[in-house]
Amino acid sequence: MALIKTQCVEPIAEEAREAPRDCAGLISRLAASDPTARRWAARDLVDCPEAAAALVERLKQEVDVSVREVILTTLTSLGDPIAIAGLVDCLRSEDTALRNEAIEAMQQLPDAVAPVMHGLLADPDPDLRIFAVNILESLCHPQVETWLIEVIDQDPHVNVCGAAVDLLGEVGTRNARASLQRLKARFANEPYIRFAADLALGRLHEN
Amino acid sequence: MSPTFASPPIWHLGDFMKTDPEQGTIRISAEDFQKFREFFYRKTGIQFDASKRYFVDKRLVERVEATGTGSFRGYFTMLRFQASGEELQALTNLMTVNETYFFREEYQFRCLVDSLLPEIVERKKNRRPIRIWAIPSSSGEEPYSIAIYLLEHWAGIHEWDVEIIASDIDTRILAQARQGLYSLRSIQHLPSHTLQRYFKRQSGGYQICDDLRQSVEFTRVNLSERADTRGYRDFDVIFCRNLLIYFDDVSRKTATETFYDALRPGGFVCLGHSESMSRSSSLYKVRKFPEAIVYQRPLEAA
Repeated sequence: MALIKTQCVEPIAEEAREAPRDCAGLISRLAASDPTARRWAARDLVDCPEAAAALVERLKQEVDVSVREVILTTLTSLGDPIAIAGLVDCLRSEDTALRNEAIEAMQQLPDAVAPVMHGLLADPDPDLRIFAVNILESLCHPQVETWLIEVIDQDPHVNVCGAAVDLLGEVGTRNARASLQRLKARFANEPYIRFAADLALGRLHEN
Repeated sequence: MSPTFASPPIWHLGDFMKTDPEQGTIRISAEDFQKFREFFYRKTGIQFDASKRYFVDKRLVERVEATGTGSFRGYFTMLRFQASGEELQALTNLMTVNETYFFREEYQFRCLVDSLLPEIVERKKNRRPIRIWAIPSSSGEEPYSIAIYLLEHWAGIHEWDVEIIASDIDTRILAQARQGLYSLRSIQHLPSHTLQRYFKRQSGGYQICDDLRQSVEFTRVNLSERADTRGYRDFDVIFCRNLLIYFDDVSRKTATETFYDALRPGGFVCLGHSESMSRSSSLYKVRKFPEAIVYQRPLEAA
């Protein structure tokens, strides 16, 4: 039979490195011409708490999707305020894929995202407010319903309210009832809002 | 959460009960079921249609009671907002049935020999061995199934060298895999001639033959530990079935990125039948073969 036993898997020898694997060396490797080298650098930078700014900087210009993915994972693992600020910045990008990746990364960071959520939901750009609601969709944080209620009570934009009311259908409790009814009245001429609010009202956790 | 894969997490969803659940005062309404169903699908990729209502309700009631949350509402809030994700994990385990045996999900092995290997061989420019990584190895049924399937169903085995590496985090299960001793239940799906050819009867069941035991390399690897996985490269196919379902989102994403660098360009990842890479799928090309859906590291990528 031609099944053969593999050669022993050996750790990559240190002398084979082209650059030192310390934090400064790894940050410089983020600009390497070979995407594999950039990907490994981005992965190993998870051990360097000061690397968030350099990673965000790289993320903004990185064209290789596999490197971008790893940068985002490392930023998620770092999860510090600089990483969060960088991810918020990505929400303003014209690049849809990058925006979605930032949303997914922020969904994983409830404690780090919570302090900036009010600011995101009050942003002058309604698109950014919708992205903030999208983050709430999978955010494990006890404030989610409160934030959503504030959105449907206060946000002037129908699409932002539409995103929030959809989510309230999943997480809403009796605390959302009055706000959902006010929302229906506020957007009485918007059939979608009325439909979505009714659906959410029917699903509220009341018992 | 630190993912582990000590036991063989291979499961199916067709576990129906014949009698009514003892739901007591805890009720799961149709709206509750719907809401849970959507949430659970988003988190795990597992879909329950209306016919699974009884199965789902029974387990939900069980967890409501076990957690002392008192009602579906209280339980769902815990499930959704618990930062550790522990309860979602417990529920996921409960919603699945663990078992593994030879030739489980055989269609993927068929896909390997009929679709993946012909493509791999076609573009190979050297005579280096074809490398297959089975993770988790668990008690060895999967890597040995791959070996048997290649010997029985792939003519290319006479022309090509194949390395099979099977990894697991649990050293005890690896020792068991190396020993290769299996119960009747484990080998029940093997054709009798296969059983005769590759196993020998032992007092404790059936033991896989020495040749096969020698042909699979078993190694200890924690998939979530970069130092462990760094040396794993140049694979043509990775079998990682019914493991990622037990990981949280970040761990799952990290694992699929690890696989990306463990694969040769154009290499394939086979996941369990109800798993998908969803969130990390931009790294991979989804390939629909007649036998199975498989994820491919793009050829053109560096």
